[in-house]
Amino acid sequence: MHAALKTTLLAAFAILPAFAQAEPWTYTDGAGETITLEQVPTRIIATEDAAAALIPLGIRPVGIIGNSLPEDSKALQGLDLAGIEMVGVTHNEIDLEKAAILQPDLVIAEYWPLDKEWGGGAAVTGPGSPLRELAPVTGPAQLDSVVGLIEEYEALAASLGADLSAPAIAEAKAEFERARDAFSAAAQAKPNLTALAVWAGNDGLWVAAPEGAAELMDLQRWGLDFLKTDLNPDSGYWETVSWERSDKYQPDIILIDNRVATNRANAEAKPTWTAIKAAADGSVGEWPAYWLRNYRAYAGELDKLTAVVEAADENLTSEQ
Amino acid sequence: MTFAEPIAGVRRQVPLLAGLIGLAVIVLAIAFLSITVGARPVTLDTVWAALTAYDPNSTDHRIIWELRLPRTVVGLLVGAALGLAGAVLQGATRNPLADPSILGIHAGAALFVVLGVAVLGISQLSLYVWLAFAGAGAAMLAVYAIASVGREGATPIKLALAGSAMTAALQSIVSAILLTSPRTLDEVRFWQVGSLAGRSMDVVVQVAPFLAIGIVLALASGRMLDGLSMGEDVARALGQNVRRSRAIAGLAAVILAGASTAAAGPIAFVGLTVPHVARAITGPNYRWILPYSMLLAPILLLGADILGRIIAPPGEVQVGIVTAFLGAPFFIALVRRRKLATL
Repeated sequence: MHAALKTTLLAAFAILPAFAQAEPWTYTDGAGETITLEQVPTRIIATEDAAAALIPLGIRPVGIIGNSLPEDSKALQGLDLAGIEMVGVTHNEIDLEKAAILQPDLVIAEYWPLDKEWGGGAAVTGPGSPLRELAPVTGPAQLDSVVGLIEEYEALAASLGADLSAPAIAEAKAEFERARDAFSAAAQAKPNLTALAVWAGNDGLWVAAPEGAAELMDLQRWGLDFLKTDLNPDSGYWETVSWERSDKYQPDIILIDNRVATNRANAEAKPTWTAIKAAADGSVGEWPAYWLRNYRAYAGELDKLTAVVEAADENLTSEQ
Repeated sequence: MTFAEPIAGVRRQVPLLAGLIGLAVIVLAIAFLSITVGARPVTLDTVWAALTAYDPNSTDHRIIWELRLPRTVVGLLVGAALGLAGAVLQGATRNPLADPSILGIHAGAALFVVLGVAVLGISQLSLYVWLAFAGAGAAMLAVYAIASVGREGATPIKLALAGSAMTAALQSIVSAILLTSPRTLDEVRFWQVGSLAGRSMDVVVQVAPFLAIGIVLALASGRMLDGLSMGEDVARALGQNVRRSRAIAGLAAVILAGASTAAAGPIAFVGLTVPHVARAITGPNYRWILPYSMLLAPILLLGADILGRIIAPPGEVQVGIVTAFLGAPFFIALVRRRKLATL
């Protein structure tokens, strides 16, 4: 009797996905557009950022639109890409034939409301792009929090049939929460501490405004204060400062954009790098700029930042 | 100069020599400005103190020694190299539009350097120079070979066309490599417009010997270029080995353009514009055009660089952008005002 019930139940479960296939799938994207497909999409092409979010949640795209070769991509590092086709390895470019062969049901990208642009580049995912003739483009919006973005992806992945109760996902989240709490405790223990996020260019020091980067907004929310800068709305969220004026801003800690591994060495090679007191003091951390999309990567970066904050002198500079 | 030479020639030489000395003084003045003016206001006293009693703990002193001084020296050398390379190429190809960027030399040098960085992972500056030479030489030979196809050989027009096509092709490859390789991301702007910022004394030490050889070769080729400028047949009748003259001029141009690209990236317009200004002052004699170009070009280049440092505080505008902005209208005015000499 028991056995018979078991078999019936198993059979029922086996048929369920078949029913699910037949249900329509709708999603409202970050630009506010709702799309409806006749069934849940399974063959997904994702931008590298979307892929970095979806793969850890158990949704494996068939193709990835990269901005670089996968080995050079911070977003994709440490992810298993076996069997996934790279349909692009350059920003704003895509191999349309490769994409067509994959027969995608859906393209997942991110909407950047400030630029009113879809990730991967306007020519690739923007309105009227040839890729949109293969499959619709949708995805969450880049707002002011990476955590918020990951949660958007969780909802999207669940609608695509991901099992969010998988132990690996819970583990990653717990790991992140531990790292976040440690960072928050370290940051709040030093109320006078100010930070500055930079890119060390050859032509000058590029100073970032936290408002333009979701992960910096997260750090600010968890208790890290950023130095006030002269933001020029025309130049977006970056201010270029000549290396002669590198001491214009004096934070207690500097965070260097780590998208390119050589960025720190470039900074240290500049004769006026140490005119920034924090640099002379060695209070330099990494800024995971624009590429964090999953809890595991976030935890790793937060642990490194916590160590920098704990070692920093909050009264190195008196500026607020 | 001999007694047989007409008096008018001598009369002409004296003001030209005076003009050359005047230019040398202006070059010194511009170099002085380049050390004293920048994104950060530094008083003259501080500059003097930095040069005479260097204190490594002072940011101002470090800026003078480690940022402005190398930048000034690179600007002087690269400027002289670009001016000479342009003049030599215009003379050797008898093409008023010849310059290292138009004949594909800059693009070739940039391509090889970018390939070296992106593909071979080279980060030593000492190797950049050799890569730039190899690229400049390869591009120039290729352009010359393409232009030589056909009965009448490498005419000025065919050289310019082949060079422009080569430049476009090579630049698109450079862009493709830079876009696919984030490791070379930061060098992007540098290899596309050229800049004097962020170059240290190592760069100077690396490229100075090559530039010195190139400058001597170029200055020594004045008589040959005068011969060539009368046309190949006349030059041959005067007992000149045309092929060898062209080869020497080409070598000088490759060394100068390659080394200057390695030091500052491809800077356009200086090599094209300056020889025409020199020609307007000196007349068609290359023994004067060459030294005039050598002194006029660093004035333009460093002047543009100083301008770029102060027009967009607290940032800077790259010199390649400023020279294009200054050079383009200037060149157009020059073309409109006097008919370009057919060389």
